Amino acid sequence: MSNPNAIRLDSVSKSFDGFKALSEASFTARWGEVHALLGENGAGKSSLMNIAAGLYAPETGSLFIDDNPVHLKGPLDAAAQGIGMVHQHFKLVKPFTVAENILLGLRHLQAGTYRQRLAQTAEQITAMAASLGFSIEPHARVDQLSVAEQQRVEILKVLLAGARILILDEPTAVLTDAEAENLLTTVQNFAHQEGAAVILVTHKMNDVMRYADQVTVMRTGSTVASLKPQTVSVGELVKLTVGDAPTPPQIPSSRDAGEVRLAVRDLSSSGAAPALRGVNLELRAGEIYGIAGVGGNGQSELAGALMGLPEPVSGEMELVGEGDLNSLSAARRRELGIACIPADRYSSALAAPLSISDNFAMGDVHSGRYGPFWFLRRKRIEADTAAAVAEFDVQGVRSLQQKAALLSGGNAQKLVIAREFARTPQLVIVHSPSRGLDVRATLAVHERLRSARDAGSAVLLISEDLDEVMALADRIGVMSAGRIIGEFAQPADRQAIGQAMVNHV
Amino acid sequence: MFDTTNFQPLLARRYTLEVRQQMAWYWQALVIALALLVGMLISAAILVSAGVPAGELLNEFVILTLFDSQSLRAVLFQAAPLIMVGLAGCLAFRARFWNLGLEGQMIWGAIGATAISLFEIGPPSLRLPLMMVCAMACGLLWALAPVLLKLHLKVNEIISTLMLNYIAINFLLHLVYGSWKDPRDSFPYSPQYKVFERLPELFDGVSLAVVLALVVALFVLWFTGISRAGLYLRFVDSSPGVARAVGVPVKRVILGTVLLSGALAGLAGLMITAGQEGRLTHSFYAGYGFSGILIAFLARNQPIAATVVAVLVATLFVAGRSLQVFYQIPFSMVQLIQAILVICVASSEFFIRHRIRRIQGGQV
Repeated sequence: MSNPNAIRLDSVSKSFDGFKALSEASFTARWGEVHALLGENGAGKSSLMNIAAGLYAPETGSLFIDDNPVHLKGPLDAAAQGIGMVHQHFKLVKPFTVAENILLGLRHLQAGTYRQRLAQTAEQITAMAASLGFSIEPHARVDQLSVAEQQRVEILKVLLAGARILILDEPTAVLTDAEAENLLTTVQNFAHQEGAAVILVTHKMNDVMRYADQVTVMRTGSTVASLKPQTVSVGELVKLTVGDAPTPPQIPSSRDAGEVRLAVRDLSSSGAAPALRGVNLELRAGEIYGIAGVGGNGQSELAGALMGLPEPVSGEMELVGEGDLNSLSAARRRELGIACIPADRYSSALAAPLSISDNFAMGDVHSGRYGPFWFLRRKRIEADTAAAVAEFDVQGVRSLQQKAALLSGGNAQKLVIAREFARTPQLVIVHSPSRGLDVRATLAVHERLRSARDAGSAVLLISEDLDEVMALADRIGVMSAGRIIGEFAQPADRQAIGQAMVNHV
Repeated sequence: MFDTTNFQPLLARRYTLEVRQQMAWYWQALVIALALLVGMLISAAILVSAGVPAGELLNEFVILTLFDSQSLRAVLFQAAPLIMVGLAGCLAFRARFWNLGLEGQMIWGAIGATAISLFEIGPPSLRLPLMMVCAMACGLLWALAPVLLKLHLKVNEIISTLMLNYIAINFLLHLVYGSWKDPRDSFPYSPQYKVFERLPELFDGVSLAVVLALVVALFVLWFTGISRAGLYLRFVDSSPGVARAVGVPVKRVILGTVLLSGALAGLAGLMITAGQEGRLTHSFYAGYGFSGILIAFLARNQPIAATVVAVLVATLFVAGRSLQVFYQIPFSMVQLIQAILVICVASSEFFIRHRIRRIQGGQV
């Protein structure tokens, strides 16, 4: 009764920079089905599919297509095998037309001049779009199309290049509900009527329950279950996704939470689809307030607003006793002991081409500790940097004049923390502090955050990793669709938090 | 037997490009030196085909210009304004501001200095310092509009600074053909500066301009390397986004640096009018704006390197003039040679950033 296997990945492992993204993950999709790959952020869904699409080579494990072992040397090889992937971030040449973009992706060109080929491609686009049940203008420029239309171009591109196994990475993340429904119906028809295999990478329970014929659940780099969504409840799927392994108990603060340090009231961003829609929270001295949630629900925007990156916002971020955070200059923020540890180290914390000591000096240069405006006290900078590098265990420093870019992810993060914590911070804003770090570095980072809290800092931890929030936070707020929709005090129920995270998506 | 599996005809071989992470400095220096050598060979070929005897090239460029004390003084004299525009370029480019308006700022600097001279403002003993201050202020003001437009309205400074050059040039022509024309003859230049309005020779025939240029080079070295502004500037240069996030006052740093760049260009204008020509002429600025960009580029925005490169470019200028006299080679040939050298060094960047590797078997 079940269809033959289309693609099978067997015990695949892959690590990045010491971090094990995939360990012994196995996955099988059959012809004629929509197969959902479900998991939290960082569970390894995208890594696994990038291996299937030939972008990454697995360290161990093997790949089978139609049950024949296949070795992919690159994306072109994968395309030749009929595998096509639509990435979360589209790979289209913006000023080109639809037909030009698609022609660019074709491997086997027909005879004829460029114009003839372009005309043929345009015909194929119209025909293929019609068979999928939508229409698209082949000569429209891609940058004048809506996001949903660009996604259709991506799909047409891989299908016209001959894909029979279609991988869609978080396809509905950028779409409105109606567009998402449309897209999922289209790909469902493609699988059911044309007999192709469609793999849907997602973390949305609803999409899985309504459109998938089969679902594989991933957790921390492994595939933990493969089942038919109709046979389980949403609750059971959530349980599989977030896991029910007992998390080590959170270590509570050694002192009681003090006065309110930061009050965020009704914080909203502007725009047609605002990422923040009225965030309210209070952060006290001597506590870690964790914000959990599925990625893309406004966490990055909240972090950006609090860290003073230019974001158009309304509402209040009151630093108690000092007024609104937005009104403080960078120098004043430093003086008041506000430490920021952003998620993307090299786009907002460290200047990669500059030396370690230059990067460290920025932390305290405004106060005049490193000399007056007309003179930098290099000796003192070097001495402070050397002391901080030793204290925060930054590894791989051959010289303080070495470029920061040469540090590994974990050590770059330690350097950021060393700089931000050089003076005891009053308020710490951290976003995904352990992203891309190995276990040892993660533990070290967590220890630093706990000791800052125990010294009386108010710590706001924004993380898409629920385990991290569970392990660190004294109170947990769940963020969904730009709001805090629930607060949990420790000891909190992991299942209840997981449920709250997905129910509102 | 002959193994043909690894042999391929040259054209069938396939190569791949890889991005290099880092290249040791001595290899970088070697690549740039080779690029300069290639550029010089191409330039030599062009000069020979234009009628300069091949045997005379070495003589003209090296022996007569650098080993003759009078020529050497001429080179240093020529180098002073080039050092200034080169430093002006270094500063602006470090702030990621493409100041193509060095000529416009030079022209306004020279106009400002000439105005002090013409209207006899201040006592003779203070005249020259006053002219310098006025030249710097005028150059600075000419850079003010583009930098404000860029910071507040994101107006592309490449276009605004370049276009402002034409306004400055035409205003200069308006002055030297009009109200500021020397009444004693009909040439398009202002009346001659008085003796105390000209940059004096200090010792051994070395002009004050040379000393001034070296002092400014040391100032720029301090500004970019020793002061806190230098640290800020390094952050702005490497990543404006990070700079903003870590608390660098990005706008103020860019504003201050670009204005300083304009002021130095203005001072360069004064160095030509008060140092070389002794008056405002209609085309004193020609070629300096481009040379300033070239010097900053070849020196990788390093002030000491810019000083050295400026001396080399000055050698080219001086040798070019003597070629003009003895072989009727047009002076635009000097600009052509400059351009060839820049293209060669710019191309060498490709080899510094990439590695070319042959693919075995010719398959991807």
